[in-house]
Formats: sequence, structure tokens, C-alpha cells
Amino acid sequence: MKKQLVHMKGTKDGLVLRLDDQCAYSDLVEELERKVSEGGIDGRVNVSLDLGYRYLLEPQKQELINIIEHPGKMVVSKVFSNVITVEENDAKNQGNQCDTYVGIVRSGQIIQAPGDIIVIGDVNPNGKIEAGGNIYVLGKLKGVAHAGIGGNRDAIIAASWFEPTHIYIADVIEVMTNEKPIVREHAEQLFAYINTKGIISYDRLQEVRKIRPLLNTKGGS
Amino acid sequence: MGEAIVITSGKGGVGKTTTTANLGTALALQGKKVCLVDTDIGLRNLDLVLGLDNRIIYDLVDVVEGRCKIHQALVKDKRVDDKLFLLPAAQTTDKNAVTPEQMKALIDELKREFEYVLIDCPAGIEQGYRNAVAGADSAIVVTTPEISAVRDADRIIGLLEQEEINPPKLIINRVRKDLIKQGDCMDINEITTHLSIDLLGIIVDNEDVIASSNKGEPIVMDPNNKASLGYRNIARRILGESVPLMTLDEGQKGVFRRLISIFSK
Repeated sequence: MKKQLVHMKGTKDGLVLRLDDQCAYSDLVEELERKVSEGGIDGRVNVSLDLGYRYLLEPQKQELINIIEHPGKMVVSKVFSNVITVEENDAKNQGNQCDTYVGIVRSGQIIQAPGDIIVIGDVNPNGKIEAGGNIYVLGKLKGVAHAGIGGNRDAIIAASWFEPTHIYIADVIEVMTNEKPIVREHAEQLFAYINTKGIISYDRLQEVRKIRPLLNTKGGS
Repeated sequence: MGEAIVITSGKGGVGKTTTTANLGTALALQGKKVCLVDTDIGLRNLDLVLGLDNRIIYDLVDVVEGRCKIHQALVKDKRVDDKLFLLPAAQTTDKNAVTPEQMKALIDELKREFEYVLIDCPAGIEQGYRNAVAGADSAIVVTTPEISAVRDADRIIGLLEQEEINPPKLIINRVRKDLIKQGDCMDINEITTHLSIDLLGIIVDNEDVIASSNKGEPIVMDPNNKASLGYRNIARRILGESVPLMTLDEGQKGVFRRLISIFSK
């Protein structure tokens, strides 16, 4: 008997169409068309597509989805694949990784990072840090810091010495001329975050765990 | 092969030219062969501070454009026997008359003959600054205890750190101990930790520096002046000696003297 190229399987998350990842793409298309036209399904159902270890280009993916959805009985809600390209992987990693900058960010210098950044050194006045994620300064933050540049309002800015001129988190700006009491009296080990009211607020570093528990990736007991 | 040191600050008026003239003279007094290069093309001053302005025949731009040989343009300072020379800037053109490559070739040629080539950098971070830094092996950043000068020094240090030269060193000029004591300006420690580069020395504020500059006679020539001592110490540090930093409180009386003065009232 010829090997089945398209498996239809019911799981607790709904119907899954598992496509063979070893055969030729044209064979797969052929069998999928036949299988879909067989019918046997009443009404509209959501299915997910599992490609296994086959890498498909975007137009190919669209072609398969069109075939499945053409009879009007199935709607593809999700496409799974075990493989992605190097570029896709890099782009995904960039957002998650933590860059390290060792040195002093001096007046006029801008240091950028796609994800989090740790600065080992001071950020001097008129120096600027821009990060897609969080900013951690192991030194004196006396310049400008912009965290969550892509719109991540959960980002925080933490520093051993917290004395910035401006703080930006996502689209919220805070000018530090009217210094907050906690910053004025206690510049050591502070961090800035957007609170539930949508304004920038400050607290001791020890409180990060309470305010942003999701930053913790390590577990610990 | 000598060493080329650029003296820069970012901000104008903090004493780059005065420092260049005095350090050069101090090094020459120590027996080193020194050439001072004024790169402030269009706004030349170094010749005035050294009192050599009326002896200029050719200038830096003449050399670069091949109108004369380097030796014809060098002006000798007769006060320091055959040790101190000046390559003056042109006054009739501007900074764009020279490219960094031409400048580097020029400095390299001078380095073959002189033990120290001090380059006086113009204020700013544009073409003139890039020309001045092009041929340098190391850099000295001059600042004063004013917040604006320190901010500009920070910027210039950031730019210098991107060049392929030795880490820049710091001179704090026009230090006034009365203001520091009152807390009205940044103290030495604050400035050095903020900029976090090595401190080469401090120069106390002194009226005689202005007077002697106006006379065309670098203050280092006067061995008894306090600012002069500061420059001499820095010159010795450049030569590799370890000289302790001048204390600001030198004029203050000791406990014993103070007791005597109480009793003698």
C-alpha cells in the first residue's frame, strides 16, 4: 500500500492535518487536494497544519492553505513547522538576547540594543541608551535611557546609581528636572517602570521581583 | 621617532593654546627637542602666546601645498636654545585647506626629527579637530572646573576613544581652591571620577598667566610661579617621572603655626 502523505488526526486542541515531510511537494499537493475533496466533514471546523521538518516558502504555505480552505469546510487557524530559516531564528533571538556594553557612554554617544542591555560603566549626561527590552546600568546612569523602544511597556530601567536626565519607556517620557522624592533622597539602586496607571514610577531594585515577576527566567527556590 | 601629542578640549577658551605653549617650553627646558604645531588654521594664536608672531614667513598650509620645505616654515624660539620650534597655522584660509591625510604625513615627518610634537587643536569637533587628531599618537584633554567645559571634555574623550591612539589624559586648568572649598564648583576628584581618565596634572588659576601670555612669554619661564610649577610637573610626568599631585592647601597654616598665631595676637 502506498504511504499516506496526509494524516488527519483529532487532538484535544482540535483537528490536526499532519503532512509528510519527506515526499515531493507536488505529491503532497496532489494528495491534499484529493483528501480535502473527499469530504466527510460537516460544517466548518478549525484545523491546524503540521508541516513536520519541511520548510515551506510563504507562497507555498498560502497555496496549501488555499487548497484546504477551498471547499469551505475547513479553516486553517495555525501552521506548525519544526524548522525555520537562520534569518528568522536570528531575528527571534535578537529580541530575547541581552547585550553587554563595557565602558562609559559619554556625551553625544548612543548605544543601541535590539533586546536587553547591560552597561558596565557610567552613562554620562547627554549619553543615550536605546533598547528594545530592559536597560540595566551597573554604574551611574546620569544621561538618557529609552527602554522598550518597540512599544514594550513592561520594560524597566535599572541602575546602581539612578540620576538620569530623561527616562523613556515605550512611548512614555519622563523629564527628571522635577525630581521625584525617592530619586532625590535615594539614588542608589533604583529602577523605573510604567505602573498600572500608565505613568513612570520608581522603586528600589529589590522590588523588581514583585512588580515585574515575569522578568525572572531562572526560577530559584 | 618622537611622540605626537594632540592637546584638545572641545570647548573653546579653556587654555589649549596656553597649555601647548607652556608644556612645549617646559619640555624644551628639560632638554627635549620639541615642535609645536598650530592647527587652528584661520585663527592662529600660538605664535602670539610664544611671542613669535613677527618672525613667521611660511606657514602650515604653505608646507602642505608644497610652496616651501618644512624647515623654512619652522620658527625657532631663541630663548630655549635650539630646542623649541613652532610650525604656525595659516591665517588667510580656513580649516578645509588641509586634509587629515596631509596632516598625518606632515606630523610623521616632524616626528622623525623631534622628540615631542605638540599639536594645538582648535575648538570644536569638526574638520579642524579631525585634522589635529589625524597624526597624533596620544592626546591630552584640557578642561576647567566648569560644568560646560567638563561636559565638552566628556564628548571629546568619547570621540578620542574611537581613534586609534593611546587613552587620553586629563589636565584640569584654572583650578580655584576658594571656589572648590565653598562647593561652588566641581572639585578635582569629582571631575576625574566623572570623566574617568588618568589625571596628568592640575594648573591653579593665576593672573600672571594672562599677563605673561600677553607679553608673549610663556609662564613656565618664571620658576617661582605656581601655575608654572604645575606645567613643569606635567612636563616631568610626560617624561615618565612620578611627581606627586600639587596640593591645593599649600598656602594654609599648619596646626602648630596656627597655635602660634593665636598666641601672638
